Amino acid sequence: MDGKSAVSLEVVLDRCRHGPGQQPNILQTLLAVQEALGHVPFNVVGEIARGLEVTEADVAGVLSYYPDLRTHLSGRHLIRICMGESCVANHCSRVLRELRDQLRVDVGETTPGNRFTLEKVYCVGNCAVSPTVIIDDELYGRMIPSQVASLLDQYR
Amino acid sequence: MVRLYLPNDTSSRAAGAARLAEVWQERTGIELIRTSARGAFFLEPMVERDMPEGRMAWFNVTPDDLPQILAGKGGTPVNEIPFLRGQTRVTFANFGVTQPLSLDEYRAHGGLKGLEAARTQSPEAIIEEIRISRLRGRGGAAFPVWHKWQVARETEADRKYVVANADEGDAGTYCDRMVMEGEPFRLIEGMLICARAIGADTGYIYCRQEYPAAAHTLRAAIQKADEAGLLQSHGHRLRLEVVVGAGSYVVGEETALLESLEGRRGVVQARPPYPAEAGLHGKPTIVSNVLTFATVSTILARGGEWYSSMGTERSRGTVVLQIGGRVKQPGLVEIPFGATLAEALERFGGGMAPGSRLKAVQVGGPLGSLFPVSKLGIQICYDAFAKAGAILGHGGIVVFDHETDMVELARHYTVFTAEESCGKCTPCRVGSLRSREILERIQAGRGTADDLALLADLGETMKTASLCAFGGRAPYPVLTAIEHFGEEFRRLTK
Ligand SMILES: Cc1cc2nc3c(=O)[nH]c(=O)nc-3n(C[C@H](O)[C@H](O)[C@H](O)COP(=O)(O)O)c2cc1C
Ligand code: FES
Repeated sequence: MDGKSAVSLEVVLDRCRHGPGQQPNILQTLLAVQEALGHVPFNVVGEIARGLEVTEADVAGVLSYYPDLRTHLSGRHLIRICMGESCVANHCSRVLRELRDQLRVDVGETTPGNRFTLEKVYCVGNCAVSPTVIIDDELYGRMIPSQVASLLDQYR
Repeated sequence: MVRLYLPNDTSSRAAGAARLAEVWQERTGIELIRTSARGAFFLEPMVERDMPEGRMAWFNVTPDDLPQILAGKGGTPVNEIPFLRGQTRVTFANFGVTQPLSLDEYRAHGGLKGLEAARTQSPEAIIEEIRISRLRGRGGAAFPVWHKWQVARETEADRKYVVANADEGDAGTYCDRMVMEGEPFRLIEGMLICARAIGADTGYIYCRQEYPAAAHTLRAAIQKADEAGLLQSHGHRLRLEVVVGAGSYVVGEETALLESLEGRRGVVQARPPYPAEAGLHGKPTIVSNVLTFATVSTILARGGEWYSSMGTERSRGTVVLQIGGRVKQPGLVEIPFGATLAEALERFGGGMAPGSRLKAVQVGGPLGSLFPVSKLGIQICYDAFAKAGAILGHGGIVVFDHETDMVELARHYTVFTAEESCGKCTPCRVGSLRSREILERIQAGRGTADDLALLADLGETMKTASLCAFGGRAPYPVLTAIEHFGEEFRRLTK
């Protein structure tokens, strides 16, 4: 870990420290750490546990439970394809196949140049304008396979 | 200056409203007002303007349509849109009309009347009004709302909490998202009424991570409500906070949600005690769905008697359906309980997307049962669905077309449940995994007729022995797929 992120971890933990008589909030602490570092590497679990005065097992348990807490950095762009039933009914599997073909990775993997990570998500509430693909913070609806290539081109 | 109304809802934006706003921002001579969405998403992006003959709408607008709109040509009167005209909008009455963060507009369209009425009433009288309305929770379990409030009210404690369940985990549903993005003050108003009724001084809105716009809008609305002095409960300032989660379907279950709010693993806890007696930090807590709170304010404003005059004997008021999948007209539909599923699909769904034929309909999210064409005569109310072993859940309706491979769909459900099982009880943790393995074996052509029997067996065990409704309901989509489309499974088994 470089010096810069070590400092910010300290700052984050300081901000998340619970007051006297209060319970520490492990989940919100981990989310804050992820916000600062981009992910929650396993090697900071000990420091977080000490900061919150809980066991390492407590922290690791929460970290492994929530799908949106990541222990590895994702690629420069995170692609999430919706696998909720409305998107499934609208044949998102065809969009997924195209994404896999274009990126040559499977769900959960990152492209060799670290450009994209491909993940799935179960419904983002865009069901009426589905199938849905999200790249970083941008949401795309009514996706069809033939749009995939030009969409990816917008993300370098 | 021509004033144009353009929704700022996430789905409207995804349909093209974001692009219209970007292109038109620079244009002189127009003023863009960003509103909530009406829920007729198949028409989005939809642009409206006031004309001498009333509010007119243009559908599926592209940037090049601007001259036509400015000339006032080719629009449709909003009150003549069949999809909307056939509805009974109560909770969603102002959608598409007001600006989400304008408290003045909220008030001008009837907002805060419920809260004002509640503030002249005793907590007991508020609960009595809710009892008369016969409102049942809209998050899925359909428990009588007044009863929960009564328990929380009567339980002695130094501190009580009101929690909005904004986890909206059911795929195919988005009405909570629309409330939070489109009329956040409505949710806040409902929570304030509840806080007064039970004597709470702290509230949380647990919002799923997948809804960033909702969380953002709510935080801004809470600040405005605070500045306007609205956040009061029995003489104290009500602390109200938005908490964002980190994924997981099971966290939507109320005891798991409270665990997650306290920062732990979102694992289901055995009940009793129910949260209304011992919830957050062991204190009496009302956990209710966003739509439930959003309905409460109108009930207080217009009376429980009025609300209960709609619907069927044991399902009063309106049901909020979210129609999606391969229909021509996906969108939000609010109607009184009591229509049949076929009627709702016919009147609002508008038929199937070009080139596709209806094969199956799933109601109630990923744990809901599948209906074949022959079973669509079922009445949309809690009783009829319970009798059929099905659920209305949060009102999601997903329509699958003839190209859907039912074995693959069944496998999809088991992948979902195996991934999302919280792991606390064995039937669900192991049963969902075994079901997935069996279906994958069948798909690979290595399944036997015994495998289908085994799936049914596993399903029965999960239904009866799981700790919560997740494991208890998980077998239903799979077993109803086999029940109604068995040929597709048998074809693959020897
Ligand atoms: C697995 C599971 C997931 C659930 N997910 C949600 C959800 O996302 N939103 C919700 O409001 N209720 C959900 N519920 C229902 C809640 O446990 C609870 O009944 C509800 O929040 C109570 O609010 P209501 O009375 O307004 O319906 C879920 C239940 C289970 C078993
Ligand atoms: S099912 Fe994909 S957005 Fe809801």
